[in-house]
Amino acid sequence: MMPDIDPRTDAKKKRAGIGTGILVVAGTADAIVAGSGFGPSLSVREIVMAVVLAVTTAFIVVPSGYRFRGHGPAGVRGGGNGSGLGWRTREADEAAGGPAHRWRGLVVVSRVMPPTASRRWLAEAESVLSEIEAPRRGPAIRSYLRSAPRLAVMMWIREVLRRARLGPRRPG
Amino acid sequence: MALRLTVQVQLVVQALLRDPAREMYGLELSEETGLQPGTAYPILLRLEHEGWVTSRWEDVDPRAEKRPARRYYRLTAGGAVEASAALAGARRPAGSALRRLAEGGGVA
Repeated sequence: MMPDIDPRTDAKKKRAGIGTGILVVAGTADAIVAGSGFGPSLSVREIVMAVVLAVTTAFIVVPSGYRFRGHGPAGVRGGGNGSGLGWRTREADEAAGGPAHRWRGLVVVSRVMPPTASRRWLAEAESVLSEIEAPRRGPAIRSYLRSAPRLAVMMWIREVLRRARLGPRRPG
Repeated sequence: MALRLTVQVQLVVQALLRDPAREMYGLELSEETGLQPGTAYPILLRLEHEGWVTSRWEDVDPRAEKRPARRYYRLTAGGAVEASAALAGARRPAGSALRRLAEGGGVA
């Protein structure tokens, strides 16, 4: 029998883990950078630290099951404050009745596309990948990832043209 | 922007033209053409944008079916005519691509 997990407690634990991870890596990186000769040059040190923090945060946050709000599963737009970030976990998705994305890489890549195109691409990829035989799944995922940048450019061009056709939004 | 009939585009169009009234979903098209699904998807989008193809989400309950809904693609009436004409005037798909398909290999 599965133990009852309170999604909020689970989210708090994840948040604490992510925070601790970022602090530990930031502290270690600071010590390494300070002792590596970057010390006198404050701007270089700051840039190195910013890059280390950004990369570490991305690496810790993405595989942790942390999901972005605003892009819900299979075309469902999630709730949230509009910031695009939220503590909605894979477990919380399943508890809410929505399918959890099993292919996190695709979710991350879909963020570079316009929202509507991103939702459709992700939903269709999920649909195909869930039915494809296991040995063919890896190459199929790679094909989605490979075609994503060109697709994103194509979709953004279309989105910009569409908005240009609609003209500026008038208040009221 | 005119649609460029690359070998991959021709393969997708040919698969759809085999039975223009038939709806095909991504995986089916990928298997018929030998293209990877990630390669076929942008082609289908372009065909849809050109008005050659129409698509819809399958109306099923994913929980009952135990799989997500499929997106079905079908040639439009005008699309079928235009696609046939375009294919007739296009260069035939490269022999190596066809050979690979016949051998059961995929096209990236």
